[in-house]
Amino acid sequence: MSEEFYKKLMAAVVDGEPEDAEAIAKEALEANLDPLECINKGLVPGIQKVGELFSTGEYYLPELIIGADAMKAALEILEPALVGGQKLDVVGMVILGTVEGDLHEIGKTLVGTMLTANGFKVVDIGANQSVEAFVKAIKEHGADIVGASALLTTTMLQQKKLVEALESAGLKNKVKIMVGGAPVTDRYAQEIGADGYAEDAISAVDIAFRLMDAPV
Amino acid sequence: MDRPPIEPMRTSRKLSFLDGQQLKDLQEATFQILENTGVQFPSDKALDIFTEHGAIVDRDSRIVKIPRDLVIRAMGKVPRYFTLGARNPEFDLILQDGVSYFTNDGCGHNVVDFKTGEKRASTKKDVGMAARINDYLSSMAFSWTMVSAQDCGLTSPLHEIDVTWRNNTKHYQSVTMMGEKICRYGVEMATVLRGSEEELRNRPPISLIVCTIAPLVQDKEAIEGALILGEKGIPIVVMSMPTMGTTAPATYAGALAVGDAEVISATVLMQLANPGTPVFHSIFHAWADPRTAAYVGYPLDSRARYAPVEIAHHWGMPSLGGAFGTEASEPDSWRSAAEIATDPLLVALAGAEIVTGIGLRDTYTTLYPESFILDDDIYHSARFSLLDMDVNPDTLAVDVIATVKPGGHFLSQKHTRKNMRTSMVRGVIHQLDKSGKYRDPSEYARERVQWILDNHHPEPPDEDVQKEIDRILKTADKELNS
Repeated sequence: MSEEFYKKLMAAVVDGEPEDAEAIAKEALEANLDPLECINKGLVPGIQKVGELFSTGEYYLPELIIGADAMKAALEILEPALVGGQKLDVVGMVILGTVEGDLHEIGKTLVGTMLTANGFKVVDIGANQSVEAFVKAIKEHGADIVGASALLTTTMLQQKKLVEALESAGLKNKVKIMVGGAPVTDRYAQEIGADGYAEDAISAVDIAFRLMDAPV
Repeated sequence: MDRPPIEPMRTSRKLSFLDGQQLKDLQEATFQILENTGVQFPSDKALDIFTEHGAIVDRDSRIVKIPRDLVIRAMGKVPRYFTLGARNPEFDLILQDGVSYFTNDGCGHNVVDFKTGEKRASTKKDVGMAARINDYLSSMAFSWTMVSAQDCGLTSPLHEIDVTWRNNTKHYQSVTMMGEKICRYGVEMATVLRGSEEELRNRPPISLIVCTIAPLVQDKEAIEGALILGEKGIPIVVMSMPTMGTTAPATYAGALAVGDAEVISATVLMQLANPGTPVFHSIFHAWADPRTAAYVGYPLDSRARYAPVEIAHHWGMPSLGGAFGTEASEPDSWRSAAEIATDPLLVALAGAEIVTGIGLRDTYTTLYPESFILDDDIYHSARFSLLDMDVNPDTLAVDVIATVKPGGHFLSQKHTRKNMRTSMVRGVIHQLDKSGKYRDPSEYARERVQWILDNHHPEPPDEDVQKEIDRILKTADKELNS
């Protein structure tokens, strides 16, 4: 019976059906299935398959994102049910946000989805976030990577402030800093002391793997 | 054989460059030129036909003056709509309002060799290559002689037909057949292909474009060849290319009047000889540089570019609109695209029934095979611009917008999943490489050409038909090339 649930969870992610994924996760818990097994044997292979179909060109962005949404919907049911020492196996913990004064969401949302689909745990703190809010979230979640997005030449200066704040908080060597956004360049990233820059969501995944020193 | 269907330009919209009074004034100018100045026809056959029907013929100067009522009577016989047959019946072109059928350019004499990159004289093999690429592309509704078969001597127009049929299943419009002898052989080949004279008349698989010589002179070989085709009901295009300042007045209206008088005088002849012969009207005016007299096809001010289409329709004739044909030498420069970019849109909005010009460089003379693909993209961009937009509850998606709310995004929506794949159509500019970056368009275009040449092999004519064609070619070669 458990195999059948894993298959259904996987299918809900691959087919991009968040409502189904949530319902199946609930049914699985009612049937007393191990939530960690449901994640590792159902959701993880599902999102890997989605990533594979995206990289071969069969899936487009909406399929990728709705697949990740389906995984997220099921995780919201299964994760709180983990018991004892059970822990999700993730590549790395990432805090994402758009800097203060900047309301542009979509770029960093896409980066978050791509990272989630590739096994990262992502906490998206949203747009218009102060340097303090970034630092607080990094500490709270024990982040490996922080990604700060800025779409305006006036707000990209906040990325520099974030680097400085992390230095003064003694976090500069503990968390890797990724920056992105339309006016941001590789050169600017180096100048302000960030660890990585990506021009789009797909290359952001490569950078994140490199910063984790993990195989891509 | 898998290949994309043809995708002609379709639109219910119309763009008018001229108003009713201007059209009347232009027509009146043509009447006056034909009646008072006349047009030179250096052909006894043509002069005889005109004499027989009451035109004023001066045998010494070979100038024919055509009275207004004779013009009106003859022009009343020209069919407004007809069918251009194709080897494959699916590609028969039924002329109609709101549809423009496009094809490649012609007739170049240089090819930049696809393998070696060397610029050299074009051959029969190149004609076949161009015909094969044409057969695959959906922008190409019919085929034109893109380059000439310069390795075939005087019978090259017949070899061009032969190699086109071996590589192409669409209607073929010859740009090179001239004179009675060549045209008789051409008719014989087309009759063999179609199986009977009746079928040839109903679904002519070939047509011919002939050019006049500005100002106000007809080409003997062109006119006499066209008359042979007219006997069998094979469509003819009469194209005039007046150049403002040298072979025509340096004013738009004057140049169009000269061009129109040339086209109408030839059309009148065709109708007097064979009433009802299908004839397309075409004027492609150009400019002479006022300092050097160089031919200029795309000056900054080329207003009323497709006014000739309206002039044709005012006469009750279908029109061939010339488009593309950049003067740039490179396959993919800013100039090569900028000069021609608005052509397909304007000519389709003007309502030309057939349009030529895709793919050559250096003012209709040089073929880079990849230019086919690059210009095909410009064609489709115009085609999409004219397509109707769907506005209905599903496409308005008000419910989806309500779900997303201000500040959200649409990527998570199933409506987006359903529609995003097709909402952005990829042209040559947006081809992705493996890392998700956009590729160099020219490199992609070359790859497409290679793919078509490797994979697309249109059905050649039946073996017994081909045998007959070979026999005709052999006879023609013996008579004309030895």
